[in-house]
Amino acid sequence: MRPFALNYARPTQDVEVSTPYTYDSALQLNVLPDGGVAALDYAVLREFGATTSTAGSKTHFDD
Amino acid sequence: MTVLILTSEQDVTADMAVVELNAEGIPVVRLDPAELPGGVDVSGEWAHGAFHGHLSAGGRVVSMSGLRSIWVRRPGRPSARAQAASPWLTEESTQALYGMLRCTDARWMNHPDAARQARYKPWQLWLARACGLPVPATLITTFPRAAREFADRYPDLVVKPVSGAHPGDGTLAVPTTRVRPGEDFRDVAHGPTLLQRRIRKAADIRLTCVGDQLFAARAAHPADGPHASDVVDVRFADAVGPWTPVPVPRRTADAVHAYLTRAQLAYGAFDFVEDVDGIWWFLECNQAGQFGFVEIETGQRIGRAVARWLAGEWSGANPPEEDRNTS
Repeated sequence: MRPFALNYARPTQDVEVSTPYTYDSALQLNVLPDGGVAALDYAVLREFGATTSTAGSKTHFDD
Repeated sequence: MTVLILTSEQDVTADMAVVELNAEGIPVVRLDPAELPGGVDVSGEWAHGAFHGHLSAGGRVVSMSGLRSIWVRRPGRPSARAQAASPWLTEESTQALYGMLRCTDARWMNHPDAARQARYKPWQLWLARACGLPVPATLITTFPRAAREFADRYPDLVVKPVSGAHPGDGTLAVPTTRVRPGEDFRDVAHGPTLLQRRIRKAADIRLTCVGDQLFAARAAHPADGPHASDVVDVRFADAVGPWTPVPVPRRTADAVHAYLTRAQLAYGAFDFVEDVDGIWWFLECNQAGQFGFVEIETGQRIGRAVARWLAGEWSGANPPEEDRNTS
């Protein structure tokens, strides 16, 4: 009684990644330890894949 | 007038628009409905023939009559992190928050009703075709016999979820995958199954639409070889890209504009497959799709476009010529 599509399922490789930035509620932005805005540091964003099409897909399937 | 952004704190893609709004001096209130109540609070009063609503988050208080736009980016489930979290409280908070926001004159990106409709993939396929976009032959069925007959007509098929959702607790995924030769399709009877003719891929195309502005990015796909993976889903590929900006064919641009108009979407991220003849085949439109990775790789200023739409700088009808990316 297994739906057909599940025969093609595979484990997700999502691992919880600790990002180097934290949310600053005063700025309403994520900031790096040096106070820089994370969204302006493309090297950091690339490294942590936080903006890719699978980011957040556990809770949001339409990405 | 304030821009309200509903999203999680970790959403750095939203940050890309917040930075632009800050630079323009546009007031922003950003909150995650998951924090309601406690971190986020809401109040509305209907009296003397008028509605007055207020929101509070992070020490900011905003009148709902002062909202110019609402960006539903990546909001958590209302009250998911409340101390007394429960399905009942989530429903109560959903009614209170989104019900009040519906009482405002703010513009939505995207309105919840439009977003809900836009998530139905069968409807996406129908609408795309109706708007003139090429759509691969597709079957969604629980009839094994229908699946076998479809496979006879289209021997090279892929399978993917109808909803796009991950099964179970999120530890499994069903990427778009080529159907194995010799499948008997008996298990199709145990759940709706989406089968689609595989398009021989020359490239993946992500077309991000913000109002009337189009930002297309292309990632070339290596030629099929004997060791090519059966997983054809760009999201699960080991190496994708580089993504490069490309112009949008005029016919595609017209069809996409028609799609967004009929779907009542202010934002949409379209996925296409470009075949070996250069035709863009519609796969899906993600009404809240990510754009950060495109901006980072291509330099296309999508966050700025989102910010300007939210700010109401443009009506959407006449964006500056340099941002119209069509051919």
